[in-house]
Amino acid sequence: MQHRMLALAIATCCAALALPARADEAALKAEVDALRAEVAALKAEVQQIHAAQSAPAPVAQAKPVSQQPIAVTDAAAPNPGRSMSDAATANTTSLWGYGQIDYNHPTARAADARADLTRAVIGFDHGFNDTTRVYGELEWEHAIASASDAGESEVEQLFIEHALAPNYGVRAGLMLVPIGLLNEHHEPTQFYGVERNFVEQAIIPSTWREGGVAGYGNTDSGFQWDIGLVTSPNLGKWDPTSPDGRESPLGAIHQEMQLAKAHDLSLWARLNWLGVPGLNVGGAMFAGKIGQDTSKQFEGDANFPADNSRLLLGEAHVRWQSGPWDFTALYTRGTISDTQDLNLGFLGQPTPVPKAFWGGYAQAAWKALAWNQSSVVLFLRYEAFNTGAAYATQPQGLGTPPLPTQRVLTAGINYYLNPNVVFKFDYQDFRYDDPVLDYGNRFDLGIGFQF
Amino acid sequence: MTKTTATRLAAFVLAAASATALAAPTPASLGEAIFRDTSLSSSGRMACSTCHDPARAHAQDNDLSVQLGGADMATPGFRAVPSLRYMNPNMPFFFANDGTPTGGFTRDGGANDLIAQAHTPILAAHEMDNIDAAGFAARLGAAAYADDFRALFGADVFANPDLALLVAEYALSEYQRTDAEFHPFDSKFDLFLQRKIMLSPQELRGLALFNRKDKGNCAACHPSTSVGGQPPVFTDYTYDNLGVPRNPQIPANADADYFDMGLCGPFRMDLAARTDLCGQFKVPTLRNVATRHVFFHNGYFHDLKTAIEFYVQRDTNPSRWYPFDADGRVRKFDDIPSLLARNVNTSEAPYDRKPGQAPALSDAEIDDVVAFLKTLTDGYDPITDSADPARSARGVKSVDKL
Repeated sequence: MQHRMLALAIATCCAALALPARADEAALKAEVDALRAEVAALKAEVQQIHAAQSAPAPVAQAKPVSQQPIAVTDAAAPNPGRSMSDAATANTTSLWGYGQIDYNHPTARAADARADLTRAVIGFDHGFNDTTRVYGELEWEHAIASASDAGESEVEQLFIEHALAPNYGVRAGLMLVPIGLLNEHHEPTQFYGVERNFVEQAIIPSTWREGGVAGYGNTDSGFQWDIGLVTSPNLGKWDPTSPDGRESPLGAIHQEMQLAKAHDLSLWARLNWLGVPGLNVGGAMFAGKIGQDTSKQFEGDANFPADNSRLLLGEAHVRWQSGPWDFTALYTRGTISDTQDLNLGFLGQPTPVPKAFWGGYAQAAWKALAWNQSSVVLFLRYEAFNTGAAYATQPQGLGTPPLPTQRVLTAGINYYLNPNVVFKFDYQDFRYDDPVLDYGNRFDLGIGFQF
Repeated sequence: MTKTTATRLAAFVLAAASATALAAPTPASLGEAIFRDTSLSSSGRMACSTCHDPARAHAQDNDLSVQLGGADMATPGFRAVPSLRYMNPNMPFFFANDGTPTGGFTRDGGANDLIAQAHTPILAAHEMDNIDAAGFAARLGAAAYADDFRALFGADVFANPDLALLVAEYALSEYQRTDAEFHPFDSKFDLFLQRKIMLSPQELRGLALFNRKDKGNCAACHPSTSVGGQPPVFTDYTYDNLGVPRNPQIPANADADYFDMGLCGPFRMDLAARTDLCGQFKVPTLRNVATRHVFFHNGYFHDLKTAIEFYVQRDTNPSRWYPFDADGRVRKFDDIPSLLARNVNTSEAPYDRKPGQAPALSDAEIDDVVAFLKTLTDGYDPITDSADPARSARGVKSVDKL
């Protein structure tokens, strides 16, 4: 039933975006042709400039891959994704950053109102030469990070990127997993609402990163592709006594390359089609073993029965930006195999390992006002997700029933003072309260910026 | 342990390590000899193993709430004997970030490691009764293995009684730390975790009831989960005040003004000012709990099922457990001064109930939990579906039979 409702919402959203696409098909085609011609001319111009330059290039404002805007404030522009438009430039270094400050006020639990400096981020991007660069993102969460505080200090990305050709290359290091729409574009100016959507936190554990090697590229026909061989989550980290696994199954076991157990590796793959301006249709998957040979890590007898457990997470999305409108729909589903024996030892515990979890959302945004560099965007988002949609069966009727599907309706405003500074307000209506996971009707205020 | 003591001990450890490289004996082998040597007590009849019987999972083998010791073997102790098994993952006493007292050895955490743990029993008047280091060193110097001790720790090791005592405690700690009989992990539950056998339906139900927060909630303090492949030891190393009834079988309790309040005294006094901690005792491992003859710090209960009934009926049926005042009212929590009765844990399940309410576990459910707890007994034999800690002490690995 939940799936049907979500599919209906997504279909409605797609239908809404499809109508203007048909109406303006001829105009769009003309626009695409014009843009392609313009890009070709620019490429030729750049090549001429490079050929003419013998001295090092001046300091460039090279935007990091994940910082490239997805046109929240410029809905007519296509999602550049991982295009090569920001190819490395020799001996240039750029600093960038973003910040997010939130206020959450549960309407039924006012005493739980909370103000938080959610994130402060400094990033850097240094080009060693025309083809190779290093890219890093350093983040502090919750204002203060120490042994006795709740904050965290973390390296969120750190990788070397080497372009093998103008339209494809390789990366190695700690990288964001290219899945969903938010994980790579998680800056507060890039999404609607004070908080990131739940689906891309609970099911896709944004900000999700893994270490390894990856290839990327795009084609003239508008395809954007990524493939990677990276570290896997570690199922041995699962704590059945903690609510963490119920809040986000993968968030509870990803390793963030912190002395990550690397016996098992995973593959990621993504394919987007950006062939029509304003349109992003695509999907991604992440698959691999996650047992990490844990049973061999105790000197005595083995106690971990899920060495061969496998994770498969798939995702599909469509985003259409046209004029003042911005429509998004996304669905993702994950499975974890070989959980039956593991959960047998967790009988009666509050958080066994799910064998299936899923989520999806549909979102519509409308730029109601725009003047100078400022704009006001209204949005409405409907989400449904379930972090414990199914559990492996257990004997004696001692199995765990599926969790109820949580549904959240969010309505709000993003006020952009300029494209890089945003003030936010929203109201979120939850299907049911869950104080443990901090789910309950609330209004939120937020400040965000990036540079 | 003081810095000076640690330094001196380190020197002996190095010396012992050098000697070990050449030939036996080892610190552990000498520790085992000391552990079983009754000649090291004033009575000549008490060794560590007298109260910590390897065949009883290194706990007592009788039904006494507190043991008798001293020169005449008639001097009563103050607390029930804890098992010495599964101590390795423990840690020195500390307060966690949220203020929870954690770690430490013995019932009140007064010892910070296995070395310090051995100190009091060797000297205490109601136990081995050596009174001081000189008395112990004299007895140790006369032991059959004294020459091995000299060979390992130096010819003049007995010239300094304090050092002789310290080295003996170190040897005992090495024995406990390294000998598999103290941590065999060969219970039925261990084999179940290794997926080599299946628990019975009743045992599985008991496991679920043990874990469920709305039922036994036992796992809140006695974690049952294997994290990262490490087998659980069924303690979180914290402390709790359960309001266990006062035990008239402890002679010291004849004095109405005497209270054993664990963390805040009378045996450790460094936390005496922390009256909020009064009445808290260490959460013990539940491995081998079904082999115990007495339960809780004061040995009030002598039966496992009754001990569990106390957990779930303490607040629903207090008249079963506590005496009545002159006015006919139940005097709940009678083993702690009335002004400190507020320290007793009344917030967590299964204590969060009132008289007249149903207990968190029914009688049948308690039987299920007992069945599960019996799977935690060491030395499981899958052929006979029986367990005996003595089997572990003899080095018989139950898994070998599979």
